[in-house]
Amino acid sequence: MERKPVTSSNIASIGYDENTSTLEIEFLNNSIYQYFDVPQHIYQGLMQADSHGQFLAQNIKGVYRYSKV
Amino acid sequence: MKNNSTFLGTVQDVTGTTIRVAMVHDSLSGLTYVNGEGYRIGQIGSFVKIPIGYNYLFGIITQVGAGAVPENQIPSQPYGNRWITIQLVGEGQRAGEFQRGISQYPTISDEVHLVSEEDLKRIYGQPDKPYFVNVGHIAGAESIPALIDVNKLITRHSAVVGTTGSGKSTTVASLLNALSDTEKYPSSRILVFDIHGEYGQALKDRANIYKINADKSAGSVEKELLLPFWALNFDELCEVSFGKISNEKDYNTILERILSEKRKSLEKYPRKGLNTDTLNVDSPIPFSLNHLWYELYTQTLGKLYQDKEGKPLAYELDKDGNEIKGDPVNGLPPIFKKINSNGANGDRVQYQNESPLTNGQQLHSLGSKLRIPRFDFIFKPTDLTPKHDGDVDKDLDELLKGWIGSDKPITILDLSGVPITILNTIIGVLLRIIYDGLFWSRNLSQGGKERPLLLLMEEAHNYLNSEGSALSIVQKIVKEGRKYGIGTMIVSQRPSEINSTILSQCGTFFALRLSNSTDRGHITSAVSDNLEGLTSMLPILKTGEAIILGEAVKLPMRTFIKAPTKERRPDSQDPIVFDEVESKDSLRPGGWGNKMEEAPNYEEFIETWRAQNPKIERIIK
Repeated sequence: MERKPVTSSNIASIGYDENTSTLEIEFLNNSIYQYFDVPQHIYQGLMQADSHGQFLAQNIKGVYRYSKV
Repeated sequence: MKNNSTFLGTVQDVTGTTIRVAMVHDSLSGLTYVNGEGYRIGQIGSFVKIPIGYNYLFGIITQVGAGAVPENQIPSQPYGNRWITIQLVGEGQRAGEFQRGISQYPTISDEVHLVSEEDLKRIYGQPDKPYFVNVGHIAGAESIPALIDVNKLITRHSAVVGTTGSGKSTTVASLLNALSDTEKYPSSRILVFDIHGEYGQALKDRANIYKINADKSAGSVEKELLLPFWALNFDELCEVSFGKISNEKDYNTILERILSEKRKSLEKYPRKGLNTDTLNVDSPIPFSLNHLWYELYTQTLGKLYQDKEGKPLAYELDKDGNEIKGDPVNGLPPIFKKINSNGANGDRVQYQNESPLTNGQQLHSLGSKLRIPRFDFIFKPTDLTPKHDGDVDKDLDELLKGWIGSDKPITILDLSGVPITILNTIIGVLLRIIYDGLFWSRNLSQGGKERPLLLLMEEAHNYLNSEGSALSIVQKIVKEGRKYGIGTMIVSQRPSEINSTILSQCGTFFALRLSNSTDRGHITSAVSDNLEGLTSMLPILKTGEAIILGEAVKLPMRTFIKAPTKERRPDSQDPIVFDEVESKDSLRPGGWGNKMEEAPNYEEFIETWRAQNPKIERIIK
């Protein structure tokens, strides 16, 4: 999956696959995680948020399941 | 001589290599200055020198203060804080090199001096020689590199020991990085037995990674780990396939059958190095275990129509009326009709009078292994799988070339996918194949003598304790590998659980922090140097600090290991229970500090278990 680099205190890049609603997050320590069944508007919200890290903590962590890749 | 700032005191007592020294009064301030640099006096583990004629004797301070007072002096010096005990370690000429061992003893009132940084440089130095690798710097003297002699490190074996979290993996990664420097060592050859799959990520640009269920997506460097059953010797093969055979007749029957299959295969596809006269049951010749199993199964468990002509096999019928004959290639056994001894209920069906094996238990056990995907790396090793007549697409040369003859200096055998019940046997087999290969090829340019191999064994206490096939082959390697260019590096957090023969054959120790006293005792008794004072420092070492003892270093040295850059460190970090930083800054999505998801999915949880693969199918490549 292709990820777009972002400026954040903890996230390096973010990618999204529309067909499977999979969100991919690369943290600054190069570890990559995929969140499953994330609706597109959440992804858009994450990309547009002032603080990606905060949006991730508030709206994605604790809501969607994930796996380390 | 009291003006000399390095002067510590005079020798008062010599017992073997233990020297007791009375310190001079005016150095009691604890600090002295040599060439403008400050030195603490009487630090445990620091070096001292005793000039004798044109030579220096060198020793290590092991005890300071009241306990170091000679017994008969105790009444007159109850506080005795002017005494130190020293262990002699070696000698050197005034301007020359340091050597282990001493040729003469000091005597009463010889002077004892502090060893300055300049002296240390002379003892440890020689950074320009390419057969020394730099793993960090001496504790307390950052300008002095910690150099290790590669020749002795590899051929005389070594051990890296330390409590969990003491920096063991970092030390190993640092050593691997230094040894796999292709500019310095263009054909270095290192094989890593990685039990938990920790090293792949850190070394992927320098290593070939062999793994069961390898990730074959684009960009992945993993390759499939294969271990064809026909490369195993007879006993190993029985252990992983049939299981334990207690009946001697059965054992002989299976042995004869395998030998005869190997002979047939060799007659049809001759292989260099062996002919039918020299063939034995342990020779690595491909044969079809599936067909051998199918024949034995049919002959042992097959039932016959007693009344039909020629007594044909009584196969059960499926719902379309076809006989269920099974399929040897896929490990499917035939199914036979139930026994019927009364002709009135239809055709009589009975077992055969003579069967090759006395019971069918081993056949059932092997049959299931032939079907289970977890065992495919042994029984269905892709293009190394023999056909019915013993033909294979590839031979063992491809396999060994991949393991020890590839273009990259390091090969990682990631054993995290091996079923735990046979892990010990598998490690034993891998080691034996490699040892046999390097042993017999010792005259060739790719043999062990001409291109030595370093075997790195992670978490060695798991398989080198008291029994199992890995233990016996590693014992052989540590005893004899030196002559054939096979060196081992044993890594463990529980040295006391490692067989003592193996530990005592290790010439070099990288001892990191060890808090358990049993473990420490094991190391103290295994090291060749007479230095209990040094090993008593083991519980107070900092993380990443190691005492390097033994043949690969000139003197025991307390070293700060240079940690490799972050992306080159192995992935053995502990899970974080509660992250120190806030969730919005955290680099981890989990832990007890974050809420868990609303609808946890345990189907995927079970999927990973069933598939024996931590990555679910859902993941987008």
